[in-house]
This record gives sequence, C-alpha cells and structure tokens, in this order.
Amino acid sequence: MTKRTIFAAVGAATLLAGPAMAECSFENDTPVSMLSAGFEAWKAVSDAMAECGSFEAELDQEFRTKQPAAFAADPSLYALGGVANGTITPLINEGTIRPLDDLVAEYGQSLNDNQLIRIDGQVMAIGMMVNTQHLMYRADIFEDLDLEVPETWDEVLEAAATIQEAGVVEYPLGATMQTGWNLAQDYVNMFYGFGGEFVDSENIPTLNTEAGINALEMMRAMTEYMDPEYLVSDSTYVQQQFQQGRIAMANLWASRAGAMDNEAESEVVGLVETAAAPKATADGPPATTIWWDGVVVAANIDDETAEAAFRVAMEGLDSEMVQANNSAAIWLIEGYEPTRLAEGAIATLQSQPAARAYPSTTAMGLMHTALGNGIAAFLTGDKAAEETLADIEADYLTAAREAGLVDG
Amino acid sequence: MKPRVFAAFVAPSLLMMLIFIAAPLVSVFGQSFYVTQPVYETVEVESCTPGFPTANCVTETKSQPVRDEDGRIETRTLFVGLESYRNLLQFDRVGEYLSSGNWASILNVDFWAALRFTVMFTLITLPIVIVLGLAIALAVNNAVRSIRGPVIFMSLLPFIITPVIGALSIRWLFIGDGILTAALEEVLNRDIAMFAQGWTIELMMYFYRVWHVAPFAFVIFYAGLQTVNQDTLESAIVDGANRWQRLRFVVIPHLGPLITFVALIHLMDAYRVFEEIVGFSSQSHVISLQWLTYDFLQPDDAGNRAISRASASAMLTMVGIVILLIAPVRRAWREHKGER
Amino acid sequence: MTARTMRQPLSLRLASGAFLGFWCLLAIFPIAWIAVMSIKSPVDAFAGNFGDVLFGPTTRGNGQGLSVLELLIGGAVVIALARWAFSGLPRHVRRLTPAGWIAIGWLVAGLGYLAVFGLVVFGILPPVLGALDAIAGPLGQPVIGATFEHYYAVWVENAFWRNFVNSLVVTAGVVTISLFVGTLAGYALARSPSNLAFWLLIAALIFRALPHSVLVAGYLPVFINSSDWLAPIFGDAAPTLYGQPYAVIAVLVAINQPFTIWMLRSFFQNIPTELDEAARVDGCTHFQAFRQVIMPVMWPGVITTGLFSFLLAYNDFLVTSLLLDAQNQTMVPAIASYFNRETTTTDQVEAIAAAVSITAPLFVLVMVFQRQIVSGLTAGAVKG
Repeated sequence: MTKRTIFAAVGAATLLAGPAMAECSFENDTPVSMLSAGFEAWKAVSDAMAECGSFEAELDQEFRTKQPAAFAADPSLYALGGVANGTITPLINEGTIRPLDDLVAEYGQSLNDNQLIRIDGQVMAIGMMVNTQHLMYRADIFEDLDLEVPETWDEVLEAAATIQEAGVVEYPLGATMQTGWNLAQDYVNMFYGFGGEFVDSENIPTLNTEAGINALEMMRAMTEYMDPEYLVSDSTYVQQQFQQGRIAMANLWASRAGAMDNEAESEVVGLVETAAAPKATADGPPATTIWWDGVVVAANIDDETAEAAFRVAMEGLDSEMVQANNSAAIWLIEGYEPTRLAEGAIATLQSQPAARAYPSTTAMGLMHTALGNGIAAFLTGDKAAEETLADIEADYLTAAREAGLVDG
Repeated sequence: MKPRVFAAFVAPSLLMMLIFIAAPLVSVFGQSFYVTQPVYETVEVESCTPGFPTANCVTETKSQPVRDEDGRIETRTLFVGLESYRNLLQFDRVGEYLSSGNWASILNVDFWAALRFTVMFTLITLPIVIVLGLAIALAVNNAVRSIRGPVIFMSLLPFIITPVIGALSIRWLFIGDGILTAALEEVLNRDIAMFAQGWTIELMMYFYRVWHVAPFAFVIFYAGLQTVNQDTLESAIVDGANRWQRLRFVVIPHLGPLITFVALIHLMDAYRVFEEIVGFSSQSHVISLQWLTYDFLQPDDAGNRAISRASASAMLTMVGIVILLIAPVRRAWREHKGER
Repeated sequence: MTARTMRQPLSLRLASGAFLGFWCLLAIFPIAWIAVMSIKSPVDAFAGNFGDVLFGPTTRGNGQGLSVLELLIGGAVVIALARWAFSGLPRHVRRLTPAGWIAIGWLVAGLGYLAVFGLVVFGILPPVLGALDAIAGPLGQPVIGATFEHYYAVWVENAFWRNFVNSLVVTAGVVTISLFVGTLAGYALARSPSNLAFWLLIAALIFRALPHSVLVAGYLPVFINSSDWLAPIFGDAAPTLYGQPYAVIAVLVAINQPFTIWMLRSFFQNIPTELDEAARVDGCTHFQAFRQVIMPVMWPGVITTGLFSFLLAYNDFLVTSLLLDAQNQTMVPAIASYFNRETTTTDQVEAIAAAVSITAPLFVLVMVFQRQIVSGLTAGAVKG
C-alpha cells in the first residue's frame, strides 16, 4: 500500500464515520469561533475542531486586517485565532490574547514541549506546524548531468549555469520574487544568510552594509537564470513552474513540496527532491527563516469560554487529525510521519549554525513593507545597490517615526 | 417646491451620504494632520519558538508598546501639521533632482510615480474609450436589424463582468506562457514575457480598461443615436453633405452632452484606477494613487498601518479629482444659471 | 427619407461589419476562454497552446469528456434555451405581470429562468446523455475533454451556494433601498431650481469620485466596536455591525447614491412638469403627485438605474471583503479565498469555475434586460 492509498483509506474512513461527533472526546456546548488564514492546514484543523460541535471557523484572507480589531473588541468577536510568527505581534502588543500555562497544564498533556510558543516565559500560543523555504530540485536532471546537490548559493548558480548550458530547461531557477511580501521575504532570507541585522537596539536601520549589498547582488545573480517575469512570480507560480517541468531548482516553501507529487497537477511526480536551504556563505546559517503557525486564545472572553475553546483546539490539533492530513504540512504534533519530501525542511531545521525564526517585532513589520516596495528598483536596474538600500532605510525611518518607534 | 418639502424628499439620501461618505471624509481630513502612535519601551524578552527536535529559545531586546492599567496600549496623538504631506511629496528630493537636471529620477518618489501613471492612464484611455465607443455605436446602428440584439448583448459583457474577474481573465491569457503570449511568440517568432517590463504591463492595463469601459460608452452613444433628428439629417443630405460631414456636423453635436457625460464618468473612474494594479501585480513597475493609499492602509504582519500618510495621500487624490472636475462643474453652473 | 439616399457603398458596409465582428470577438474572447478553462483538468487549463486547452487531451485521457452526441444534443438544448430567453421569456413576463409590477416580474422571471436553466443543463441532461452515450457506439466516445468536477467542488464541497444566497440578499437590499431613496431625492432635485439643489448635486459628484479604500478602512474599527458606542441608544441589544449584511447594504447604498440620484434626476427632468402640476391642481400633495402620477411613467428609468445599482452591489469587492464575516460572505470576495498562501493549480481552476459561476447570472441578467437598458437610456436618461 502506498502512502497515497493509505491517505485515501483514512479519508474514506472519516467520510463513512459521517458528520456525527465521532472523533471528539467531549461534547462541546459553548459556542466557540475561530478566525484564521485559509490554507489547507487550517481547513484540516478547523474541520477536526468542528467535530466537537458548537464551533464555527472563519477562514479569511483578510484576517490580518480583521484579527487585531476583532480581538480588541470586548467581548472578543472570536475565541480562537490562527496566527504565525509575524501576525502574533499585534495581538501580543495589545494584550488581546491570554497566557495559556494553566490550560496547558490541565488539558495539554498531549502537547510536545516544542509546540509551546513562549514569550517572556509564558505560553502564548500553541504551535501546530512549521514552515520554511528550502531547496527543491529535479533529482533526474541532477543525475543526468552528474551534479552534486548544492549547499551554498554559489553552488546553486554554478549548477544553474550547467543546466542552462545543457539546454534541459530554459530557465533553471525559480524564486518567489513577486514584488511586495514575497520579494521582501526572499531578501530577508538572503540578508540573514550573509549575517546581517536589520535594526539596532534603538530601531535605527542597519541595512546599508556589506551584508545588505551582498544579498542584493546575490539576488540579481539569481535572476540571470530565472524567467524574466520573476517580479510577478509568487509561490503558486513557482510551484506551477516546477509541476510543468519548466524549472530545475527553487528555494520554495516546505508546505508546497507535497504538490510536486500530486498526479492531477504535476508532470514531475517522484522526480523532485528536497534539501536544506542553501547557505549564503560557506560557514554561515542556511539563508532562510523558520516560520510557525499556531493557535491563540482571546483575552477578552470569560474563563469558561476560554476553557471550552482551548479544549476544542486540542481536539483540532490531535494525532488523528495529523494522521488524516499527514502531507498537508510539517506538523509539530505527535503522530506526524515525515514524508520523503519533508527531508529538506528537517535538514534546514537541524543545520548548524541554525537558521533564525522570523522575528516577531514591530520594527520588522515596517522593514518588511519597506523592503517589499523598494527592492524591485534594484532588480530592474533603476537604482544602484547603495541607493536602493539608502532609499529603503529612509522609507523605513519615515514609517518608524510615524509609528512612534523612532524619535524625531 | 417649498424648502420643507424639498428637504423631506432629499433627507434620506442626504443622510446616508453624510453618515457614510462625508463623515469618514472629514475624519480622514483631520487624521492627515495628526499621528497617533503607541508609547514604546525597550524590554528584554525571552521567546521560544519551535525547532527540531526541541524548542529554540532566544533572548532579545525589542521595543514593545506600554500598556496602561486597563490593559490598553498607551498612545499619544501628535499634531504634525503638514509633515505627512511632506513625507509623501518629498519636495527636498524632488528639488535636488530638478536642480541636478535629473528629471526622470523624480519618479523614484512613490507619490510622483503614482501621479504620473494615474494621470497618463486617465488621459490615454479617455479618447480611446470615446472613439471606440462611438465607432461601435455607429457600426451597430449601421448593422442589419436582426443581428443588433446579439451584438449589443456581446458588447455589453465586458462592462458587466466583475472588474476583478475581468482583470484576472486577461491576466491568465498573458501570464507566463499564457495562451495569447504563446500565440504572439509563435507569430513574432521571439521570446516574449509580457510581465517582465513596465511598458508591456502598462499596455495590458490600458487594454483592459478600454475593453471594460468602451461598452458603457457604446450603449450610451447608441441610445443617443436613436434620437438623432431625422429631419436635420435629411436636409443635410439635400444640402449635399457627405457621410463624414453628416457625422461631423449633425450626429456628433447631437451626442455632445452624452460625450461629456461619458467623459466625466470615465475621468472619475479612471482616476481611481486600482483593480488593474492588483489584477496585473504591477507594483514593481507602476502604481496608482488609490493603490498607494490602499498600501499605506494595509496592515503588515506586525499590524502597523500608516494611517496619517494614507489620509494625506487620500486628500491629495481628492485634490486631483477636484481639479479634474472644475471645468465640467463650471459648465454645469452656467447651464444651471441659464435655466433659471 | 428614401432608402436610396441612405444606401451605403458595399465597402463601407463590409468595413463596418468586419469591425463589428472583430469587436465582438474581442469582447467575448476572455470571458469565453475562462469558461473553457473551467471545464478542463489543471494540466490542460494552463497548457500553452490553443488546441490543448480547447480539446483537453489530459482531461479526455482521464475519461472525462463530451461525445459528438452530447455536443450536438447539449448544444441544441442550450441554444434553444438561450433563444427562448430572448423571445419567449419577455413575452410571458409582459403577459403575466400586472401593470406597475413589471420590475418584480422580471426579477422573478430571471431567477426562475436561472433555476430552470441550471436544472435542465446540470440536472437532466447529464444522466440522459450518459444513457444515450452507452448505446450510441462511436458517436458516444468522448472527443473533447471536459469535466464539471471543479463546479462540483465549488458549489457543493465549498458551499458556494451560501455565498450565492448572501449575494442575492445584499444585492436585492441595495437595489431596493437605493432606488427608493434615490427616486425621492432625484425627483426633488429635478424639480427644484435652487442653488442648494445644484450644490448638492456637485457634492454628490465629488463623493462619487472618492477612492473607496479610504472610506472602507475607516468603517472597520467603528463597525467592530459598534456594540460599545451604540449601547447608550439600544442598551444591551446594541448590535455588532461588523459582519451584518444590513450594515453592508447601507454602506453600498450610500456609495451608490451619487450615481443613482444623478441618473434619476435626468430621467425626471424629461417628464414634463405639467404632469405633476396638473396633479397638484387636483389637490394632490407633492408626495401623492410623485407616487400616483410620476412613478407610473418612470419605470424605464427606474429599471435602467436599478441595473447599474445591481452591478455595483453584485460586483463589489472592497466593501464586502472587509465588512462581512465568513457566514455572510458574498460571492466576489469568496473568490479571494482561492488565492491564499497555499494556492495550488487545482485551486486556481476552481477559482476560474467560481468566476464563471459569478458571471453566469450577470449573463442572464443582460440577456433579459438588454432591451430595457437601451430603451431606458434612449428614453432620455442621460441628456448630460
């Protein structure tokens, strides 16, 4: 029996079990609602939560806009929230989510220590999955051309040159460089890879440094081997390029790996392998950041609702859910069986020196926006590297002054 | 009509506009002169995030808003005058570029780049929409009666389709090796990437807008053509006017007010250009004024939004619209005076 | 006028016909193309050449396709239904609806037609044709790849019908209220020569030109906290406006008012003042004159204006996506959920199927109402 058929069997079993609250260990009668992003893993988790009854999930693309306001209302419009490293920041700042230590002690026996997101010593969120950008490559092409799996970005470029010369594919490299959030994220990865720091302890930008310029130059070197439309290519587009066999390598999100083996969409089933994210310098960390997604509980609700909400959340994050949706994410939850395509993510997480978790700070939010709007000018050749970085710093400073992060 | 009766008739409509449009507008105007910001303190925080196989704990100093005893963030509101407008317009940089003769660099400042595109977009699409709309109206009016129904039906489709969907449907035709890009490559026998440079994206945006709005112009003009005075036309023929002269001196003057109407509506709508920027993901090459405002208001991961600059940019957009409207409003005022 | 003087040289007629043909192709191609993409497997839908997308070899390879028989019979049924919408339907509506109720009649007819169309094309045809295919031999073999699984996924698995119902609620609310409020104001503005009326119209014009993103961002915190600031008025029953369809209806009506009152005003201007003056002499109040004398002759204008209101409410994205919660989400913002952090190619094709589903009612609407649009506008709506 292959993994796929196991998956199908489990799916069929859940269907047969019907909509009755079969898999929930208790019957919930307190109304609980959740607001989160709307991708596959959240669908799986919220479906599992719904089995307990009296539960409503709102999987919303506008959750970033809605969540801070909805949680600040009294009572909060939602009891549960789905967050990631970045989006937990406004909730922590405004104090609209509650510490979970007591609830974890009472109902969270099944949780790994690894799942407890602690901020200032208190458990503020329950992690469910990690995500990171790492190398995916076409093993068949690498084998044909007798190439080693690259460990640094310089090696990636060499491999790309070889593949292009051999004429296997026209553009060997793909990258999530759509202007805005994606492009900034790629830059953050590369900048950390070169050992940079975005701001100092006073929140003054320290971008215009050697690391900053190196990161820009490396990204431009990558674009030589990429489809010229890279400034509109988001992760869906890169995934499609892979599936249609048009690229040979990309530093792509771990959560996208499963799609390479989806027979309905992919023409390269079984041919894509994953490896640790390439390093920017030979002895540095992988040029990537670690992300997590998890559940938080609102502060502005009464304790009984919070308790019910937490118990419902525990049901959504249990092993049964993971076993039914094993390939939907790199789960942190007990019972997860890493697949062949999860190797790259695990190698990235284990590498030494370690890659950083994406920092959840207010300054980083502002910096991310400034980067997303500013970097394209360098890649299109409108501005030189120093000028680009200086403009981004100026942009960031304007925003930081308006936000009150920097004086003057 | 007595003032009281007039007021009673207008009240519901006026009330809704006051509550939902005028009030937010006033508050936006106010916000553009103030910034509201949290008071930050610097703290050492130990945070643990998932690692593999164990959690990853680091201690870092970061800025965190101070909370008062109610648990709400302590904020202060500062009057900043025209600071947000200055941040947007960046006159110092513009002056520098002007004095160094480096004119094109002005477009490095977001606001001016957005203004450039918005104005060009409005002015380029306007004549195309009107001419195309008129041409279709004339051609339909010219067609055999039996095919008019289906032709009008097909012509109206681009207008009624949801703008987001319309933009996406055109995007899908061109993105990557989309069907039309592939066809173009076949015909021209060269590699084409429509989304790789600014001018091709801009071209697609013009194309989309004309495609979307020309049917509106068409249907208005077509309705107008039905009421052209046949006697005038006939006497023009008797006078020996050729087809072109009849069009120029009888039909177009008759459609005059309608052309103004379509132009006015189009000016206002095109000046708010927004769907195209999102639909064609053109941010790296071209942005528009409304997109700039939207971008300031979009919260980042940490929940920050630049409310003050967004308000300032919205007010500047308004100024532009008012300038655009001056000429038609003066005309309407004269007519209004004449009517009385 | 004699036919001879108006006769056109062949070259002009050919040029005009060719231009019209080209325009029609341009107008329908993108829309027709997404309709074609929506019934293919993801691999075919995003293939790089016309043939693969049109004939869908991969989709056909999966055993999903239409046979010659299905194409002929299905095509005939669809064309017959479409023709009937142009000819039979308007006749029935006119015959069966009492005078003054024509707008409602059309609305019911439109919805009914949509239901019948859906039932015949998706409910009755597939099993019948499937049975025929089995006995038709070579004619029953699939020749064109086509699958309706994306529509199934959208409407059944993702419960798009809920969004459809929400769209209907919001749209119906917006059209009714904005016409009611707008006709009152439009009438008064058309009949009042005062400067105040003029400046009201100009203010409305400026309101119309406002970028919506500015307004909408201002509503969100106010709507979410409305139970706090409404408490002094409503006490404990103070509602949270966020997520409520009626709040969104109010916002959309307000945003739509400027266009509505401008348009209706110019309709009212074309109705001779003598009409209401005569009614006033007979002892009617302004409101009675408006209701009993003016409204009955206003239907063309009201229908045309209503259509524009319909389009605005139905097509809105900015307002509905921010101010409605998932339970009350309308169709257009619901499409955005297909473009999330983890969108796959299948999601994209489903998004296309959803997009086609959103367009279909508009399609029917225009089919049914196009005569009204043109005749309404001709009746003199927009004299500038």
